Amino acid sequence: MKGSRPVFPDYRGRPRLPALRRAQSVMIQLFHVYKTFEGAGTALHDVTLKVAKGEFVFITGPSGAGKSTLLNIMFGSEAPTGGQLIIDGRNYIKIPRSDVPYLRRRIGFVFQDFKLLHDKTVFDNVALALRVMGVETGELKKRVARALSYVRLQHRANFKVETLSGGEQQRVAIARAVVKEPAIILADEPTGNLDPHLSLETIELFKEVNNKGTTVVVATHDQGLIDRFAKRAIVLEQGRVVSG
Amino acid sequence: MSKGSNIVHLLGSATGSVRDNLATTVVTALTVGFSLAILAQFLFVFINLDAAVSTWGDRTHIVVYIKDTAMRGPGSIERIKGASLAVPGIKSVAYISKDDAYAELKAGMKGHEAVLAGVDAGALPASIELRLDPEYMEGAKAAGVVERFKKMDWAEEVQYSQEWVEKFAAFLRFFEVAAFGAGIFLVGVTVFIVSNTVRLTVYARQDEIEIMSLVGATDNYIKLPFFVEGVLQGLIGGLLAVFIIYAGRWALLSRMPVYLRFVVDVPVSWTMAVAAVFAFGIVLGAAGSLLSTSRFLKSC
Repeated sequence: MKGSRPVFPDYRGRPRLPALRRAQSVMIQLFHVYKTFEGAGTALHDVTLKVAKGEFVFITGPSGAGKSTLLNIMFGSEAPTGGQLIIDGRNYIKIPRSDVPYLRRRIGFVFQDFKLLHDKTVFDNVALALRVMGVETGELKKRVARALSYVRLQHRANFKVETLSGGEQQRVAIARAVVKEPAIILADEPTGNLDPHLSLETIELFKEVNNKGTTVVVATHDQGLIDRFAKRAIVLEQGRVVSG
Repeated sequence: MSKGSNIVHLLGSATGSVRDNLATTVVTALTVGFSLAILAQFLFVFINLDAAVSTWGDRTHIVVYIKDTAMRGPGSIERIKGASLAVPGIKSVAYISKDDAYAELKAGMKGHEAVLAGVDAGALPASIELRLDPEYMEGAKAAGVVERFKKMDWAEEVQYSQEWVEKFAAFLRFFEVAAFGAGIFLVGVTVFIVSNTVRLTVYARQDEIEIMSLVGATDNYIKLPFFVEGVLQGLIGGLLAVFIIYAGRWALLSRMPVYLRFVVDVPVSWTMAVAAVFAFGIVLGAAGSLLSTSRFLKSC
């Protein structure tokens, strides 16, 4: 056929459009997302945004602006009240609950309160992310050692997390997020409990991960960090995107 | 990860978790153990008393003394037995001849045989002993049966302890209802206590479950170590229950009157009893863990 290009049907049998190919260079897409908490009002109001594959983005805004809610929605731990959400080419809204763990394996989440098992060793905490994926023991040991060396904690592998400082615990959390070599890293106020020096070090680590091709989204209210690293910043105010 | 190393890791994780949470494991195992011991001993007592009640029921009978005149002629005994069995409600008929009655009386008077001096064996009447079907042991029905025998032309006299039978039937009904109610209550209490204790152990580790879920663990992956742990706790609880039952019997038997000891007997073989206690312990521990983790994961 003259001028026709080969088209491959999507999972519903419809031809894929050139626009979709363009969209595949987008890692995170939100269309008119709303989130309302019963009794607490609207946390997100008509949020539409895109994050490209391999991009480093800050999400900023004052406390209560909806930064954490936005990250939780991207992670699948909160469901939006309305709107559409496409992560890594999959529509999150249509994903059954039983598929959520498999999507979380593609996303590393660094929590403000670290969410570590304090009575377990550094090694066990980092290895947990691979164990749940069924990674073979030999491979698991190699990858954990690599992740710990990356955050410069290899000498603490057999220490219990409760014996580490706040900065070291944060690095364990980062090692746990990167060890599974995720497509995306989401970090919710990762520097919230750290001094300025450790904050810089932490963002440097995320930058290194980003340099290897991982998409990184960091929520922070620290304007100094945003200015210093000169990356795109999406500003939220009262649940709305006001710039970025 | 290969299946083998998965299982090794799973068992290691479960036993490690039992070790790390020793206090809660001990509390759960103790709860399972004591609950199972009480429930098992209750079942033993119930089965023993039920068997005893049935035996006593079998001993309840109607005695019909036969007129001497009715005994004349060939086949008269068979005719009386046949006529008796044809009456609705009669389970069995036993013929007691004059000689049997005398021998029985003599045996009962052992040591006082002098009293029977001059008493002729033929002086005592022949009789038949009738046993009733259980559903005829109720007052009105039993009285109906007695009335029919009183009208038989060969019956001299009918003896029947009506009051005893009525009281026995009432006791039987009460015992069945009460024991059934108590059994259901006890099973309910056991399941409630065990599932709540297990739930506490699950809630005590909610951080661990939440973190596993956040790093991409499937629900089954999270449940499995708790399941294995529940089975282990059930096994330990079962072992404890067997010990408590055995020790309890040992302590009780020497203090119980001989005629009451049957109440605490194990009504089945010890092997079967131990297997049943272990199996129920494992089911309780495993089901408790699965229910609690499922409920918790739904809220995650």
